Amino acid sequence: MATVSFHGLTKKFTGMAAVDDLRLEIKDGEFVSLLGPSGCGKTTTLRLVAGFLQPDAGEIRVNDKIISSASTLIPPERRNMSMIFQSYAIWPHMTVFQNVAYGLKFKKLAGREIDEKTERLLRVVHLEALKARYPAELSGGQQQRVALARALVVEPQILLLDEPLSNLDANLREEMRFEIRRLHEEFGITTIYVTHDQAEAMVTSDRIVVLNKGRMVQVGTPSEIFDQPRTRFVAEFIGKTNILSGQLQDGNAVSLAPDLQIRVADGSVSTASGETFVCIRPHNFVLTADESEARELASKGFNLFSGVLERRIYFGDAVDYTVTLALPPVSLRVVTPPSRQFDKGQRVFALAHPDQCVLVGDD
Amino acid sequence: MPASSTDAVGRAPAASWAVLQRWDTTLPVWIAAALLLVFLIVLPLGSIFRASLWDETGFSLGRYLEVFTNAVFLKAIWNTVVISFWVGVISVVVGALLAWLVTRTDLPWKKPIRALVMASFVTPPFLGAFAWTLLAGPNAGALNKFYRSLTGAEDALFNIFTMPGLIFVMALYSFPYVFSMVANVCELISSDLEDAAEILGANKWQTAWTVTMPLALPALIGGFILAFLHSLSLFGAPAILGLPAGIHTITTQIWALFQYPPRLDMAAAFSVPLLLATMALIALQKKILGRRGFSTVGGKGGQKRLIRFGWGRVPVLLLVLGILSLSVFLPYWILLKAALSNAWAMPLTWDNFTLKNFSFAFFEYGDTQRAIYNTFKLGILTATIGTLVATLIAYITNRNLFRGARYLTFFALAPLVIPGIVLAVGLFIAYTRPPLVLYGTIWILFVAYLTKEMPIGFSQAESTFKSIHPELEDASRIIGANRLLSLKDVTVPLARSGLIAAWSFIFIGVIRELSASILLFSPASKVVSVVIFDLKEEGQVGVISVLGILLLAASFAVVLAMQWFAGRDVVATRE
Repeated sequence: MATVSFHGLTKKFTGMAAVDDLRLEIKDGEFVSLLGPSGCGKTTTLRLVAGFLQPDAGEIRVNDKIISSASTLIPPERRNMSMIFQSYAIWPHMTVFQNVAYGLKFKKLAGREIDEKTERLLRVVHLEALKARYPAELSGGQQQRVALARALVVEPQILLLDEPLSNLDANLREEMRFEIRRLHEEFGITTIYVTHDQAEAMVTSDRIVVLNKGRMVQVGTPSEIFDQPRTRFVAEFIGKTNILSGQLQDGNAVSLAPDLQIRVADGSVSTASGETFVCIRPHNFVLTADESEARELASKGFNLFSGVLERRIYFGDAVDYTVTLALPPVSLRVVTPPSRQFDKGQRVFALAHPDQCVLVGDD
Repeated sequence: MPASSTDAVGRAPAASWAVLQRWDTTLPVWIAAALLLVFLIVLPLGSIFRASLWDETGFSLGRYLEVFTNAVFLKAIWNTVVISFWVGVISVVVGALLAWLVTRTDLPWKKPIRALVMASFVTPPFLGAFAWTLLAGPNAGALNKFYRSLTGAEDALFNIFTMPGLIFVMALYSFPYVFSMVANVCELISSDLEDAAEILGANKWQTAWTVTMPLALPALIGGFILAFLHSLSLFGAPAILGLPAGIHTITTQIWALFQYPPRLDMAAAFSVPLLLATMALIALQKKILGRRGFSTVGGKGGQKRLIRFGWGRVPVLLLVLGILSLSVFLPYWILLKAALSNAWAMPLTWDNFTLKNFSFAFFEYGDTQRAIYNTFKLGILTATIGTLVATLIAYITNRNLFRGARYLTFFALAPLVIPGIVLAVGLFIAYTRPPLVLYGTIWILFVAYLTKEMPIGFSQAESTFKSIHPELEDASRIIGANRLLSLKDVTVPLARSGLIAAWSFIFIGVIRELSASILLFSPASKVVSVVIFDLKEEGQVGVISVLGILLLAASFAVVLAMQWFAGRDVVATRE
């Protein structure tokens, strides 16, 4: 049972802040992802939590007890945490069983108890048949399972995962995402998960923390992050998106060009008068070549864009179009189901409901 | 305020528990290792500077003045420079030639040739020098006798007790350093680089001159400096071959200053130029190697085409074997012959055959028995403790455990610039007075060996640690192992081959050590190398040969065991 909180957590490397004033409360049993591009400070944050690094300012608390600050550093081995590493860090000189059982050596358990717990965890991750093997004889996915078992067997209060799936191939990665979520639901351990892959964060997490340049940009549930990105960075980093710039007129109207105004969702983004940005996801457009259908939707309040179909990429389960608008002179990405197809050079209309047109900040 | 004081008392245990919780319990181990290292380096160097600058009457630069005005000292410095220069030149020519032949041509028997170069590398130079007194001494030297019997001449063909003789023998045991540096580079220069020049119209000689040579040049210069440094610090060979001819070098002169009446202060003052010269040369070598380095050559090196000699292989092979017979075959043969005969200069017939040298050395003569025991005890002890300390230090620097940890690298490598005899002068001065009087015991030798072998142990451990992903250790720490346990359970087992190599290098280095031992031994703490040096005065050729063979056998046994356990090649990994 553990809560984790960051209070102004800051870490500098050669004067540059890698982690800058993080403030966050993680609830007991919550699965939180730190999401961001490489160099955003997510791994540094995780290593601060693990105790491999000491913060330059601020604190990390577990159950309200300070475990890391500029003056205090409880060593990693006394934090009652587990961690899964990008490289798996499976010990090549130990068998699968020895790898998993290692952490129990420090728990003052009887030998029989160690064996039982290890066997149980090996069953949970479906590795009982391979327990006598050495890591070199395992596939990447199996090594990943060893790492999971080794981290879980010690019954940690907090589980840390550092891009654990980035070395796996695409299919296996998808499978392991669900596996990690399944194990989280089974054990209910407070978990911090570091990744640069938004899909991974979406599938596994209760909440996502988006980081950029060492700072927290947005915290929220996966759907909040995806549907209501607060900044351009979040909108562009998570999923494909169109960003249109314009002038904010009043609360709900943005002028994209002298004669083109669109309605946007009630945004909480407070922008100073002047330039503002609207985020519209490619799959939120309705695409049609039928002018009367377009007029009808527009009369229902949809925002209407008209343009020429520039490029078409067929994905099987979807079609990805590029539409060059006359006004404003930009290209839109529009994704539609394959049931309706359009041809290159065709004049088309793209319509988006104001609820799906989200104001975002520039940062 | 009774209430608050009760509070304070009540809180005290909790507070100390908190302090303990926050304290990395393994920290004392790292700090102790770091302090030990600093102590090992600072004490002898500090002692030398103190003894050379201060005496009862106070501070004075007079001793340095004497070093640079006294003709005897100046002559020794000059001799050392001349000898080291020529040793460097010959080593580069021979070492580079062999390295090129072994790596870039279709010369047969490459593996045996590498093994023989390694054998010359492992052979203690003082033993080689001794063997060459038997081979090319002016009167009874085997080669001279052969020459006389062949030509009927009266005079000697060779006299090893001369400046050229000394240079010749020292070069025989210095060229492996150049060999290993140049061989490494040659293996990295890919034929593509040369092909590129040839496609642009360069002929073979232009290619060699404009591409291959410039790429290999840093290694050649670096090798020259290494061989130069090696001969600068040698004591045994110049003492055995130079002293009978009245040729003094810096090292033998320092040794002479220790003889009755001892002039420790002058020995200290005379050590300083040697120390500074070594430092300057190492700095120069680092600069040369560091600037263009091997990185231009780097990578895997791509395809290498071997230059074909065809029928020319036979004379080239004979040349190579001829060179190696000078450093290995002839000396080993004469040592074996001397060990097995009553009279070493006579032909080895049944009448002349004996095992009494062996039984005398191993079972009858107390001095050799004790020396053998001391040598192997010190070898095993130093190798074990040295590997342990080097491992801890390499771990500290590698993981940057505390502020300033990287400066420990400087201390761990510092003995490279301290010639053995200079180290011994410092240790002698430091440990013949309280608080720690180690002189007269084997422990002063232990300290000397531990210090002298620290760089090789450290660099082996360090390079192995670098290759181990730190996450492997993080993984054990986060689930409950402290640093020491992680080191023991994870890092050390993974670094096994590198640490075995470190142990072996230290062991081999210790059992052949003479230049520091010669100043630090006492009657109860003689080691084999010192006994060999002593017995030479008594002309105990047979016993010396037995001891020499013992040292060689032990070294080769360790080398083979290391290759077996760790799959390492000795010549390739040193420096």
